[in-house]
Amino acid sequence: MEIRKNNGPLKWILIVISFLFLTIFLLLPLIYILSTAFRQGIGAYLVSISDEYTIKAAMLTIKATLWAVAVNTILGISAAWCLTKFAFRGKKILSTFIDLPVTVSPIIAGLIYVLTFGRQSDLYPILDDMGIQIIFAVPGIVLATIFVTFPFISRELIPVLTAQGTDEEEAAALMGAGTFTIFRKVTFPHIKWALLYGIVLCTARAMGEFGAVSVLSGHLRGKTNTLPLYIELLYQGYDFTGAFAASSILVLMAIIILILRLVLEKKGKKELDIKK
Amino acid sequence: MSDRNEEAYVELKEINKHFGNFHASKDVNIAIPKGKLVALLGPSGSGKTTILRMIAGLEQPDSGDIIIAGNRVNNIPGSERGIGFVFQSYALFRYMTVYDNIAFGLRVKKVPEKEIRERVSELLKLISCEGLEKRFPSQLSGGQRQRVAFARALAPNPQILLLDEPFAAIDAKVRLELRTWLKEMITKLQITSIFVTHDQDEAIEVADEIIVTNQGKVEQCGTPQELYSSPASSFVAKFIGNSTVIKNFDRFKYFEKAEEAEEAILRPEFVAVFKKGESVQYTSSAEKAVVEDIIFRGSNLEVRVKLYDNLISSLRSINEPIVEIGETVDVFIYRMFLLNKDRICLVHNQSLKQESVVI
Ligand SMILES: Nc1ncnc2c1ncn2[C@@H]1O[C@H](COP(=O)(O)OP(=O)(O)O)[C@@H](O)[C@H]1O
Ligand SMILES: [Mg+2]
Repeated sequence: MEIRKNNGPLKWILIVISFLFLTIFLLLPLIYILSTAFRQGIGAYLVSISDEYTIKAAMLTIKATLWAVAVNTILGISAAWCLTKFAFRGKKILSTFIDLPVTVSPIIAGLIYVLTFGRQSDLYPILDDMGIQIIFAVPGIVLATIFVTFPFISRELIPVLTAQGTDEEEAAALMGAGTFTIFRKVTFPHIKWALLYGIVLCTARAMGEFGAVSVLSGHLRGKTNTLPLYIELLYQGYDFTGAFAASSILVLMAIIILILRLVLEKKGKKELDIKK
Repeated sequence: MSDRNEEAYVELKEINKHFGNFHASKDVNIAIPKGKLVALLGPSGSGKTTILRMIAGLEQPDSGDIIIAGNRVNNIPGSERGIGFVFQSYALFRYMTVYDNIAFGLRVKKVPEKEIRERVSELLKLISCEGLEKRFPSQLSGGQRQRVAFARALAPNPQILLLDEPFAAIDAKVRLELRTWLKEMITKLQITSIFVTHDQDEAIEVADEIIVTNQGKVEQCGTPQELYSSPASSFVAKFIGNSTVIKNFDRFKYFEKAEEAEEAILRPEFVAVFKKGESVQYTSSAEKAVVEDIIFRGSNLEVRVKLYDNLISSLRSINEPIVEIGETVDVFIYRMFLLNKDRICLVHNQSLKQESVVI
């Protein structure tokens, strides 16, 4: 490890560059957000964040995020499981399609749903008869959020499951363990940290989603506005205190997730050191 | 042939198995008597693991019958076939302790925890791993892991034990110890066992019977002695023993008139190497050859001589006079296997016949 002991100027140049970069691109904007949010005093800030529509938007964001995490946890585990533990036709195609949401622009993702469930779609009358509205309603927002965050969990799980192979599951199955027992006792302990990490990533992405949701939402204040959409709305309306106050909520949520991520990484690493 | 009247306990009849277009098992017929320790021996990729996995129910054959204790088990799940399986890489549950690993099969069967405790400690004693129950698999040595995998497979009292390359992942020194240990264990427990190996020494040393596989086919079943003395196919003749294939065998003295054959096989025990004047008996019928190489094999020396462009091995006791590299020696060949397509015959040195006639 010669390079680590090197105390030459290169080390300091790199450190300075890194910190400078972080300050300009991250810290400064953060400070700016907070200072703008508090510009008109703490009173105005409190009024802004306790504004009815801000709270509703925050609740909708949390709701969509919870849905996305719940659905994608189940779908992600299933997809990762079948891709790594079984051999079947169309495996390659499935594997490619899982990645689609990250490669496709979120706007397109939104449009896909508008085309599928909107007025011009054949599905529209059927859904309408059943009283289900997807476009410009909460279900559409949830759908869009699920779509854009779909790959995060399965992509975390696939490498772990591939590395593990199928021997342990086969050994358990030969001793008579059922599918659920095998998952709980053999597979889950193995993927636990990767899964939690995937959930963290999925949550962060779901909270911040703008593009796809924007297409589907219809921007109904208090009904279909998520926090990012509402921030945009306030900003467009020159309500800077409101916009930055709402942003500070999002930032706070992101910081919580960041801390969670750090804790999980540390714990996961510790356990790996013991078991590996 | 060994006693084929013994009733087969595990039997495969006309088994075929494909992976896509690849024919992995071709008309496999096997019969294994109860209580025997049998080796599936063949080169890597010859379909040994596939056979083992079909017996365990981890793969389904395309056609043919798998019979255990007289019942066709093709449609019975592996977990109900009374099988213990030791995987090639052991497949220990790495997030469970040694204790939980061994207890797993019993817990699945809802055995009371008190009985589990007794059984696990009994098995830990059997594998001399007392005191290790709280360790995780990663905290064990290779040999210990293998023995824990063995104990885990045995815990639910299976009638059949299947082991896939049980010694492959273990370093050479411990491997020899474990071989002996495993053979003793299995003999003591009287459990019908099949193990896969690509190492003929391992198979010959450990197994009561050997099934030789090649390219998805079973080439021969028999005791180690039978495989040695009467190989059923040219593959077996070449694979078993330290065999040298010889094309120009008709140039060898007293083998000229050997019948129609494509090639011949020589084993070290078919050949004797003498120092000049050491043997009176065979001098006239021996060939002259030069020693190319000498390899120390512990209790004896492997002497390699060049004869008609073939490098031929022979064994000499370390008590005999030393030969040296470059020395010209007398080589007498007692017999060789002649291979003609898949027909094999053992031919003896013609001079032996003549002498016996003369005497
Ligand atoms: N699940 C599988 N899918 C495709 N090919 C396989 C599979 N399992 C085994 N094979 C092929 O079948 C052949 C025999 O494999 P195997 O039974 O594992 O051989 P061995 O254990 O004798 O080395 C190999 O060529 C291998 O590539
Ligand atoms: Mg194998």
